[in-house]
Amino acid sequence: MTSPPPNVAVQVRDLRKSYTVHEKDPGFVGSVKSFFNRKSHEVGAVKGVSFDLAPGEVVGFLGPNGAGKTTTLKMLSGLLHPTGGTARVAGFEPRKRETPFLKQITLVMGQKQQLIWDLPALDSFLVNQAIYEIPEAQYRATMREFTEVLGLEGILKKQVRKLSLGERMKCELAAALLHRPRVLFLDEPTIGLDVNMQESVRAFVRDYNQRFEATVILTSHYMADVTALARRILVIDAGVLVFDGDLASLAEQSSGGKTVRLQLRQPISLAELSRYGFDAKVDGLSAELSVPRSEVSARAARLLADLDVADLTVEDPPIEAVMAELFGAGKEKAVAEGVG
Amino acid sequence: MTPFLRKFRVLFSTQFALMTEYRAEIVIWMLSGTLSLVMMLVWMGQAAAAPGGQIRGFSASDFASYFLATWFVGQLLVVWVAWELDFEVRQGTLSPKLLRPMDPMWGHYSGHVAEKIVRFPIMLVLVGLFAWLAEARFSLDWRVYAAVLGLVILGFTVRFLWEYSLGLLAFWTESSTSFQEVVWLVYAALGGLFAPLAFYPQWVQDIAVWTPFPYMLGLPASLIAGKATLEQAGQGMLVLLGWLAVFVLVRVWVWRVGLRKYGAVGA
Repeated sequence: MTSPPPNVAVQVRDLRKSYTVHEKDPGFVGSVKSFFNRKSHEVGAVKGVSFDLAPGEVVGFLGPNGAGKTTTLKMLSGLLHPTGGTARVAGFEPRKRETPFLKQITLVMGQKQQLIWDLPALDSFLVNQAIYEIPEAQYRATMREFTEVLGLEGILKKQVRKLSLGERMKCELAAALLHRPRVLFLDEPTIGLDVNMQESVRAFVRDYNQRFEATVILTSHYMADVTALARRILVIDAGVLVFDGDLASLAEQSSGGKTVRLQLRQPISLAELSRYGFDAKVDGLSAELSVPRSEVSARAARLLADLDVADLTVEDPPIEAVMAELFGAGKEKAVAEGVG
Repeated sequence: MTPFLRKFRVLFSTQFALMTEYRAEIVIWMLSGTLSLVMMLVWMGQAAAAPGGQIRGFSASDFASYFLATWFVGQLLVVWVAWELDFEVRQGTLSPKLLRPMDPMWGHYSGHVAEKIVRFPIMLVLVGLFAWLAEARFSLDWRVYAAVLGLVILGFTVRFLWEYSLGLLAFWTESSTSFQEVVWLVYAALGGLFAPLAFYPQWVQDIAVWTPFPYMLGLPASLIAGKATLEQAGQGMLVLLGWLAVFVLVRVWVWRVGLRKYGAVGA
């Protein structure tokens, strides 16, 4: 594979990963059968994914559980060796795990930790300072900055096991970014956090991206993470990339049309509202309905002409609804291609 | 200070802080490893009942000296890295360590060294107490202890590397610790934990001299008990250096090949 051009931070071509999975029937008989005749088969977790990311780009990497998001991130961070295809991150082949590569990346896993459980987080930071060979002045400056932005004051000297989930996640983020990596793989960084803590993590990632022009790939089941941070979305389902584009284009993938919200001056019946679109709902003087994407202007004009409207807004459907549709499409595509 | 030594120093001081957190557990763990002391009582009883109060030149006091010394040396050779690796590979907790630009082995090695330092003063107290109770006698020649230190450092490192290699078999198997338990039995038998090697049939002794086990456990214990010479210690160090080279290569090979099999489960 030739080196990617300098304006490409991550280059992925036909990346594949399959696993051998052993099967066993439940119970004693199943165990005995498996002992003498162990059955196994290959499962494709990632089936030929390709994309490029520019330096400083923030990308939301979405898909249902088991779609291949985390497997892809593990291959891009060098944890897993691909079964096929190639990847280059910051100019390096991840699977070789060369030191200059490892110094330029980080992988934050919301459900795994690198902090030493029985010691204060500061001890883990000192270990990272030594291992990443961070100069003392840079370490102090970064710590000062992270302490302020993430609100780490007062928690750095507490044992990690005595921290709350939110406090621990903030320390995990600080530990993972202490060496100022240029490429961030964030796998569910806000999982289990309350709304305020989610927002502070998002603000921190946004700030880090802007200050260091870091490339960020973010997976999350919280759509608020994605809409707050990413302009570009990659959607993977059943190991296949089913969408690559911006948020607005993603919404256009929906066959459900656009949502029109109305604030009325006079009440209206559900039957009457349904004449203008589908999925109509009425709640007092508030109402909403869906209209076909190609007829938004005409339907809105009719609504304004026919009804006593105080306010009217047109919105894309909720991103969750679009995702649900896309995931279904991905499954059909995978089945059609004979994989799965 | 070289960059590597600087990293190792920080790893060591962090691991030392961690081990002091576990000091109570370390004492309990030490007390659980008392097979040498049980064997000491068995052989002391046999010697006391034997004609002339000796078995093959070992009196009850000699047995006490030898087995207390094997307990002391054995404590310094304790390695648990195979269990840690087995867990890390199967649970995926190896992943955060793999993301760092330093071989995870050094974290484990520094942890083991730090644990030995926390363990050492407690060992001295216990050996002193047991020696007084069992009327054991130890060598007073400082050169013996310098040789024992060299053998123990080499022996510990050799054992660490083979256990590390065994632990890495978790890349291929459901559980690598079962291999470790088989190897421990050979280590204990040929190392002289159950009886001095000279008590075994000649053919067993002929096989044992080709393994690292007698030189890492039985030899330093015999030196402390006054039953081996400094010349034998020098020969033992050479053998251990040879095995060290072998296990350095084995460990690197298993690591490189195994990483390709790593599934990074759940992480």
